Amino acid sequence: MYNRLLRSAVLVTVALTFARFGAAQKLGLDLHGRAVTELGGPSIRFVVLIFAASDCPISNRYVPEIARLNREFAPRGVRIWWVFPNADDAAGRVEQHNRDFAINEDTVLDPEQNLVRLAHATITPEAAVFAVHGGALDEIYRGRIDDRYLSIGQERPQPSHHDLEAALDAALAGQAVPHAAGPPVGCSVVFLGQ
Amino acid sequence: MRFHRAIAAVPALLALIVLSCDWGWTPRLKVRAATGAVTRAVTTQEPVAARQKDAAGDRTLTWSHDIAGILYKNCATCHHPGGAGPFSLLTYADARRWGPQLVAVTQSRFMPPWLPEPGYGNFADVRRLGDRDRALIKQWVAEMMPEGDAAAAPAAPHFEGSWVLGKPDIVLKFPRSFTVSAGGTDVFWNFILPYPLAQTHSIRGMEIRPGSPQVVHHANIAIDRLASMRRKLGDRWQDGVGGMDLYIDAGNSFDPDSHFLFWKPDTPALIEPEDMPWRLDPGNDLILNMHLKPSGKPETMDGEVGLYFASKPATKQPILVSLDRDDALDIPAGDAHFVVEDSLMLPVDVEALGVYPHAHYLGHDLEGWAILPSGEKKWLVWIRNWDIDRQSIYRYEEPVFLPRGTVLYMRYTYDNSEANPHNPHVPPVRVRAGNRSEDEMAHLWVQLLPVHVAGNGPDPRLQIEEAWMRDRLRKTPNDAICLYNLAAALAGEKKYVEASVDFEELLKQSPRDERTLTALGAAQDGEGDWQAAIDTFRHALAWDAPACDARFDLAEVELRHDQAAAAEADFRTALSECHENAETHAGLGAALQAQSQPSAAEAEFRKSLELAPDNLTSLFGLAQIKMDAGENDAAIELLHEATDADPGSADAHMQLARAYGQKGDLQNALAELRAAERLRPEDAAIHSALSQVLAGQGNLQDATEEQRAALKLAENDPDGWNNLGALEARSGRLAAARVDFEHALQLDPANAEAKANLARLAAQTAKPN
Repeated sequence: MYNRLLRSAVLVTVALTFARFGAAQKLGLDLHGRAVTELGGPSIRFVVLIFAASDCPISNRYVPEIARLNREFAPRGVRIWWVFPNADDAAGRVEQHNRDFAINEDTVLDPEQNLVRLAHATITPEAAVFAVHGGALDEIYRGRIDDRYLSIGQERPQPSHHDLEAALDAALAGQAVPHAAGPPVGCSVVFLGQ
Repeated sequence: MRFHRAIAAVPALLALIVLSCDWGWTPRLKVRAATGAVTRAVTTQEPVAARQKDAAGDRTLTWSHDIAGILYKNCATCHHPGGAGPFSLLTYADARRWGPQLVAVTQSRFMPPWLPEPGYGNFADVRRLGDRDRALIKQWVAEMMPEGDAAAAPAAPHFEGSWVLGKPDIVLKFPRSFTVSAGGTDVFWNFILPYPLAQTHSIRGMEIRPGSPQVVHHANIAIDRLASMRRKLGDRWQDGVGGMDLYIDAGNSFDPDSHFLFWKPDTPALIEPEDMPWRLDPGNDLILNMHLKPSGKPETMDGEVGLYFASKPATKQPILVSLDRDDALDIPAGDAHFVVEDSLMLPVDVEALGVYPHAHYLGHDLEGWAILPSGEKKWLVWIRNWDIDRQSIYRYEEPVFLPRGTVLYMRYTYDNSEANPHNPHVPPVRVRAGNRSEDEMAHLWVQLLPVHVAGNGPDPRLQIEEAWMRDRLRKTPNDAICLYNLAAALAGEKKYVEASVDFEELLKQSPRDERTLTALGAAQDGEGDWQAAIDTFRHALAWDAPACDARFDLAEVELRHDQAAAAEADFRTALSECHENAETHAGLGAALQAQSQPSAAEAEFRKSLELAPDNLTSLFGLAQIKMDAGENDAAIELLHEATDADPGSADAHMQLARAYGQKGDLQNALAELRAAERLRPEDAAIHSALSQVLAGQGNLQDATEEQRAALKLAENDPDGWNNLGALEARSGRLAAARVDFEHALQLDPANAEAKANLARLAAQTAKPN
């Protein structure tokens, strides 16, 4: 258990997860408490989940970068979601947080941590990319957004490698998706029961 | 004369961030004041011995028993609601939320932030977490973070939202709010805060409230005596300006910004030692050089700075010097081990009070040490894993004594390879010195307090400055600022001939430079060639711009050489063309006084004192006016203000003694002269005055001794020999008296007193008894 709380120190091997959900299966909740059952949608080829925590400073520092990626990839059939998996991040708090940070991307609360399990996420911020095949989601990338942080306290002035962006570019080009070149850095997901 | 040893642009000392910056040498005091509540709370925790046993694994660790105290003592100063830390660590729930991160950051020593290696400099306020505490946190998290008996936890520290030091005497606000954008690279920005008062104040404490503490990584504060940045920026000054390091024009007087004014979130209040406040004059600006970190959302900063006034000016004057190898920084792309070194020999005994190592993102291993004349090596600081994000001032727990002849060394290693995660360039590029964050720097600032200072010797800071500038000129021979500073230091040490040579060398490069011309004039005046000085000052005034310092100095020389009307005219021009200040009003008052216009003079002295209540020239001048009017008590009161304002001024004590003497209060006159004597034991005039007062009290023996002492110091003073003769005569030693009177006449054949005394003596000895 303890090991799961810490960021993984080795490269994450992307597990190819093939998950199929029933048509109305609840994945999470929107900010009005309504069930979110569909992460994709018409013409969506790839779904990106960004696991986040409103009180995690590193997670917050990625808000502008995610907005940039959304501007770039939304027109290309990519749907980006902010996912808040921690119990403390209830709807009211996340709503306020999204206002403070001017977050315009889709947001889903993950109180049962269904999406955490689906993606095998452990850290905020951490990205998971799924190819959409009908009702099935196929995880093709999981890990860091870029290499700005090497560990907590070890930070580049700016990123030199944009892992998530490279993964999306490859996926959209129909090429093999490169693995993240380093572990995600940030705050542990607070797992249920912890 | 204004003390024309002008230091010009000291490279930022700022360097302070190059801005020049922050505390005095009792940092302990500062931090305790800022975090008193924390200190108290922590003392209630269990004794260390008990915890050590637990860490060995004898029982399950709990938050209340083992962890809360560690967090309160080491983390809560920043990590409390509204604090600079990104989250609070005051409650059990907080600790549990962040437990895994606590392990990661304490094991890596990212937190608490503390870069120096233990054992390489004995610093105050060490924030390095002990191994035992690190082990406890790790074990507690591994054991699933139990709370324990909440009621048994130590009391959480309390943090007020208000000023830590209480209501400031004055609050300076940012001229304009500043917005840090949501993302991107870190921002290094300089904010200009003009000091709005018309009086000088000594500052004993400063507190910064940046408005948005979580984006402010640290701040260096520089004093811009001439508002030079504000002038340079023109109507854009309220926006401030970017840049990691600053160069500020330090002005014309030897006034090194001698304090590390460095702010970081865990030490919001800087308190100076009682005898080492820093000074703000009318027209000064504070410059806050801030390192700002985007948080993910736009952050608007509307900061303010609270200042706390001291009741007395500083009596201890430290100086900041830097070892510096910016000139050698030319780091090839990919070089992982680029080394620069510097050294500086100290010309006087000092105590080192603190250090500030400074490099940018490529700095890796930063070493500073001293080799004493005995061969002993004392470490100043060693940072083996430099991180600009966590830079700081480090103050020594106890001052480090470094005798004259000690050599200070620095050795900095830079890593410009791709493997350095801080490298701003991927792939790496060639990097040289500069003030942008992607440039580099190589500075080791040290705060030195001269000790064992002789009362009548040159200001030891000038000797340090001279040594420092000579060292810099060896490295960068064409650095005009260094040459100017060297010449100014020489002038301050009264080495006027050498100073003039250097100033003239500078004038070859910039013949119309007003500052250099003014400084040359001052040096010529110091040499005794006041006519040449007047010519030089007039040369400086020959161009259109109002050369304020040259005008002031010209007036001052004129006043001293019986050209009071010309002096009056120049002081008036200075007041109309230049910044109004106490010294100019005082000079004008003195010029009017010299022309027997006491009421006009008094008006100017009073204007001067409104601006600077401790202006000695004005206090002396006013006192003289009162004495001339027979108002001795009023004069005595004014001169007491002078001795209170500057207890180190022998002149003030002498003037006060005069006033007491004129009143007939010889006892107090004697006490004041003794005070002056302690300050200037080698001053013949003081001994001579002592002799006169003692004689007035009938103590002829001591009076004679004092007069002899005076003549030992000034043996060519005919009046002194005459006075000694008079004392000898009164004591009945007529033969000795005759020798003295004749000595006086030898030196000054026209001396009327001596002639008369000799005649009287002849008459007396001719009489039959």
